[in-house]
Amino acid sequence: METEHLKCDVLCVGGGIGGLMGAIRASELGAKVIVAEKGNVMHSGKGGGGCDHFLCYIPEVHGTDMETYVQEMMQTQQLHNFDTLGMKRVRTHIAKTFDIVKLWDSWGIPTRQNGKYHFAGHAFPGGLRCLLKYEGRRQKPILTEQARKRKVQIVNRIMVFDVIAKDAVAGAIGIDARTGKIFTFEAGAVILGTGAVVRLYPAVTPGWLNNNATRPSLTGDGRLMAYRAGAELQDVEMRMLHVGPKYFARFGQATWVGVFRDPQDRAIGPFVTRPEGLYGDITPEVNKALFRDHWTSGRGPVYMDGRGISDKDYRDMMHWFPHEGLTPVVEHMKEEGIDYRKNPVEFMTYDHGCQGRIVTNEKGETSLKGLYAIGEELAPGVSNASVFGWLCGEHAVNYLKHSNRPDASGMKEQVAEKASLVDKMLNRKDGADWREVNIALQQIMQDYAGLLRTEALLQAGSAHLARLKRKAYEIIKAGNQHEVMRALEVLNLIEMGDLVFMGALGRKETRGNHVRLDYPLTNPRMNGKVHIQKKVNGKPVSEWRTITG
Amino acid sequence: MPPVIDPDKCVRCGRCVDACPEDVYFGSRKKHVPQVTYPQECAYCNGCVEECPVEGTITLRIPLPMMLLYKST
Repeated sequence: METEHLKCDVLCVGGGIGGLMGAIRASELGAKVIVAEKGNVMHSGKGGGGCDHFLCYIPEVHGTDMETYVQEMMQTQQLHNFDTLGMKRVRTHIAKTFDIVKLWDSWGIPTRQNGKYHFAGHAFPGGLRCLLKYEGRRQKPILTEQARKRKVQIVNRIMVFDVIAKDAVAGAIGIDARTGKIFTFEAGAVILGTGAVVRLYPAVTPGWLNNNATRPSLTGDGRLMAYRAGAELQDVEMRMLHVGPKYFARFGQATWVGVFRDPQDRAIGPFVTRPEGLYGDITPEVNKALFRDHWTSGRGPVYMDGRGISDKDYRDMMHWFPHEGLTPVVEHMKEEGIDYRKNPVEFMTYDHGCQGRIVTNEKGETSLKGLYAIGEELAPGVSNASVFGWLCGEHAVNYLKHSNRPDASGMKEQVAEKASLVDKMLNRKDGADWREVNIALQQIMQDYAGLLRTEALLQAGSAHLARLKRKAYEIIKAGNQHEVMRALEVLNLIEMGDLVFMGALGRKETRGNHVRLDYPLTNPRMNGKVHIQKKVNGKPVSEWRTITG
Repeated sequence: MPPVIDPDKCVRCGRCVDACPEDVYFGSRKKHVPQVTYPQECAYCNGCVEECPVEGTITLRIPLPMMLLYKST
């Protein structure tokens, strides 16, 4: 198999918002940086289609006490995003946001409206508005341009599948998703930013793998390569829900201006009674399962109702839609003759299945020296990704100044192992393609580690998944290099499924959307604790740890 | 399913082939109208539409299972 060897100081795996920001900063500080991206950095990642809101604290707007801002923010959906991260990290993030916003503005990502900072959406009426509206439609091409300006080497279509490490990180290995060439990267530090875990649970449309609110190629690759290399993961059994338009799975709920109403036109939440551009309707952020509960209890469906919206709010909303990545929705509404001012649009609860993160310290470093994690490997949101991407770039460069040249001697063995797997996939005439394996995985996850969990269900599902895993390795096939990439994604997802089962069995309580019918109480003794999973001497080990900071 | 390319408008520049994060255009040949090899893998992100230099060449046809539900009033 043809191979290419590249050397750098910092390797960013994944060229989303976090990866590009880390690359830009590390390069500015003198490091030789490579970004390896599975797709193309221009539009890859959760922010690839744009974004229109950015958590940003500005003293002149929010007052000089940042704590007031932080407390307000932690009453919104950010609570679920950040509550197990530790408040020290949250404060580090928020304190840096305005600097990044000013930087983005100077690069050509507009963050002001008519010269002023405008905050709206995801907010309680009368409370502080924490989210800055910005025009992020072209954010990825602009960040790409900034990275190239700083001589960052970008290699697109490279799926990195393993980190090389002994006592410290020494590089990574990937495969070209178009040519099949193996890439070996020798790097002093590696920043993982491969995004969320999608395709582990079924999408909105049964059997249709790609109807997701976010990108279907985000398959937890970073978490799995970190885990295999010995780094720690946390809370992978926790489930993430979101809401958006029924069937047309999209993020951007708070860009819609309206009131969530039931079929009898009654508001389902207590916060707004008419469309209100400054706040939106924050009801689902308190409980994202609410729309599903309405449905299953016979009170649904729930509509996002824009009737009565002012002309100004409507104009503004239509202005923000494309920046939030909702152009296809706008075009679809035009084509179907849906006038939002007259036609309430049905919304639903999406089940993204898997939350969790890679464990990192306040510098973004994992439990493996020289390995960093950012973006959705840490927590959702463009603001979080850009701030910690930037800071991780700094910390990685600083680490390089005080570390020895890493030992990359294990590289050859890992390459040979993966090359053999790829070779088998490509040479199988009969077998299961990646879709078949993925769908089999999703049905197990949904039925045995889904909405409702018990010891018996989790044990049964876990055993069945182990059988599927064995079978998948025996028969998964790929017709070309693109399908090899998809197949490797699915094998990662199976490993993630394994971890979800282990985590869910170990969490003997009900917490948030992790519902154990056999342990219905939320155990207060588990408050402030995270559930760690790691590999020690090749065996999975779990432990509970108190959140610090 | 999306995307749909108008061959009469396409200038065969390959920008959409480069830009697609999901690589739905895998296997397209240079200086030819791109082929949509994996339409079912489209994430409807609009990236190819954004990068296309000739407006109206690429459209995303939203598949029937994704049609929005709405209330007639």
